[in-house]
Amino acid sequence: MAKTITIDPVTRIEGHARILLECNDAGGVDEAYFIVNELRGFERILVGMEAHTMPQITARICGVCPTAHHLASAKALDNAAGVEPPPGGRLMRELMYMGHLIHSHCLSLFVLAGPDLVFGLQGAAATQNIVGMVDANPELTKKALRLRSLGQKLNEVVGGRGIHPVTALAGGTAARLSDAHYERVREISAEALILVKELAPVTKELLLKLLAENPVLLDKLNVPSWYLGTVNGGKLNLYDGDLRAMDENGVIRAEFETVDYANYLVERAVKRSYAKEVYLNVDGAEHMYRVSTLARMNVADSMETPLAQKEFEEFRNRFGRPCHNAVLQMYCKLVELVYVCEKAVEIVHDPALRGAARVPANINGSRGIGHVEAPRGVLIHDYKIDQEGIIRAANMIVATQQNTAAINKTLKEGAVNLLAGNDDEKLLNGLEFVVRCYDPCLACSTHAVGRMELDVEIAVNGETIRRIRRSPSCCK
Amino acid sequence: MSGEKIRLNTDWLCDCGGCHVAIVDLHEKILNVLESVVIQHCPVLTDIKDYPEADIGILTGSIRTEHDRHAAEEMRAKCKTIIAFGTCAVYGGLHGAGLAHSREEIMDHVYRRSPTTITDTIPDTEVSELAKLVTPVDEVIDVDLYLPGCPPHPHFIFEALSSLIEQRKPRATQESVCGRCSRQMIKGDATEIKNTYNHVVDERFCFLSQGHICLGSATLDRCLAPCPNHGVACTGCAGPTMQILTEPYLDIRTEVADRMSRLSAIEPDTILAYMERTAKTQYAYAMATKMIGSKPTFLIKKWIADVEAGTNG
Repeated sequence: MAKTITIDPVTRIEGHARILLECNDAGGVDEAYFIVNELRGFERILVGMEAHTMPQITARICGVCPTAHHLASAKALDNAAGVEPPPGGRLMRELMYMGHLIHSHCLSLFVLAGPDLVFGLQGAAATQNIVGMVDANPELTKKALRLRSLGQKLNEVVGGRGIHPVTALAGGTAARLSDAHYERVREISAEALILVKELAPVTKELLLKLLAENPVLLDKLNVPSWYLGTVNGGKLNLYDGDLRAMDENGVIRAEFETVDYANYLVERAVKRSYAKEVYLNVDGAEHMYRVSTLARMNVADSMETPLAQKEFEEFRNRFGRPCHNAVLQMYCKLVELVYVCEKAVEIVHDPALRGAARVPANINGSRGIGHVEAPRGVLIHDYKIDQEGIIRAANMIVATQQNTAAINKTLKEGAVNLLAGNDDEKLLNGLEFVVRCYDPCLACSTHAVGRMELDVEIAVNGETIRRIRRSPSCCK
Repeated sequence: MSGEKIRLNTDWLCDCGGCHVAIVDLHEKILNVLESVVIQHCPVLTDIKDYPEADIGILTGSIRTEHDRHAAEEMRAKCKTIIAFGTCAVYGGLHGAGLAHSREEIMDHVYRRSPTTITDTIPDTEVSELAKLVTPVDEVIDVDLYLPGCPPHPHFIFEALSSLIEQRKPRATQESVCGRCSRQMIKGDATEIKNTYNHVVDERFCFLSQGHICLGSATLDRCLAPCPNHGVACTGCAGPTMQILTEPYLDIRTEVADRMSRLSAIEPDTILAYMERTAKTQYAYAMATKMIGSKPTFLIKKWIADVEAGTNG
């Protein structure tokens, strides 16, 4: 029994997802760990840098959601200065963010999850990618890719760049939108709204079909947890608002401002992963919680825009509140995609968009805390700035780490059933699907289309008894 | 050409993923590229996990772990032409700033000194140890072509790929960011260094003329100058110009101090002292490269230590 079984060793053994299952002698799973094996140490790197450059610098934390970091950072600087950007600056920031979210949600829905939608979960690996999708469903794929492009271009026109935007700064944005740029965003947002209206019903149909063909998804992936998400006047908001915490029974247990985050969130470092786990500390106890699209849909009472509100109501009628099923993240993303396209058009038609872009903002000798809803959930930046304008301390709570505890719990429950079968490929597929449902940024940055590179270790009493790796040979 | 397609591998090492998104951001032009290129190993687009023989290999990110080193070596062995793609691959990038701190210091900040972390635990099982330093790709393997930028603008990516497809030399200009900046360089009367949060710049004129530090004149244009044209000073994300890299006594701060003192009423020494005090910002993207680190006047560890001890400024 105490033997290491290695299946198809792969050349890459770091920098991708690893799962460790700790079993007992009776064959049960004691613990499951999703191991993040990367650390760049930005909390240390930022110390000593000029605070006013943080929106540009921190965008580089993630090339997949740079605009979320860019804006959380600018909002932290507003907070340090004790100012609110004027309506023009605020709307410019929101507009660039809608562009980013269009891009990010399209990438996630169509490029990453799209092949599952078009081919089903049992599709052949060779065609299970975006190129295969173009052949199988050219109309859907081309429109989806066009919509992603439009989002990225919208982000670029307002933010200066699509990847690592630069225009948000303490007190607003660097400059007003020029006439030429205004004309451009008007065209882009109008086309995006037309496209999303065509795409949404088709995508929803594919998604419901996938769920109908795989009833196990809805049955087995229900993991009750608390939820944390942003609401503004009770409505779902991605750029600004209070943080609302809901328990597993759907009761709202706390609603707080970003600046109070340290009273509600606690981080716990773990031996086995570079990612810290985060818990909600409410009424004297720590609670496992989730963030991202499902969490946002659960905590929100309604949506700001008409088409998204209709989709929101349909979702809630179908799946209730709270909905605990991780696989429905995809559905929630679709509702949000409709919302961000509508919202972009709404912002473009707001005359205040062309108004003053910024107010003076003295950030020196202060502490600033800001947050946004990153595509994958709550993102908080917190800086201490000295009298010379230099960062003295930096703290960040990122989306993926807040889901780690829930991923581990879902893996543990999934593994109990899957291990019994002793079928390696089934085990890998099952565990991968669990991780994919949470759309962790690690997965989106180490793999993309098709099947995830995985390394699963099964240990009894600390000794590895089985090691399964998804290797090149079984992935082609 | 419908004959033999050019085979392309890409891989990412320690980076943010933005360089691969930048390739996707060729938008419509990606179809032109796909007519002549077959994409093999590419973590965003395909499922191929090993390293097939290829004509072109694009490497993004810097070397942080044993995995990164190994991947770079595999790519070198299988690809005829290797492109170090993006600022991290070419100069080490932002996390190159890790060179100023020990691994212990980084771990201590992340896991012990964070205000919300309530544990006293350092991850040490099942995770790989951090490498001592972050290094650019060419310290591990030979590199044929360099394309810095954070990320490089699709304009340059398209030119690089089309030139390789057409088997000609890429048209790689050596201009600085100033070459694409629409602001006018005039002699200004600023007497002190200003910042975005305490002074609003006039959109028509050069940042340096108005007393704002802008690295445009010391930075290679691989971006088409979006920052200064959108009201934001250049932060040097594509790394230094060739002139600065190749001349031992020229440096980012000496170049900026020289030009800025001529365009404003600020003394060169004042500018130098300011840039040394804020060195971690000014050298954020390129401090890990020996081309900067080996310069005789480059004392970044001392500058950073002075600021952190509060003995400077």
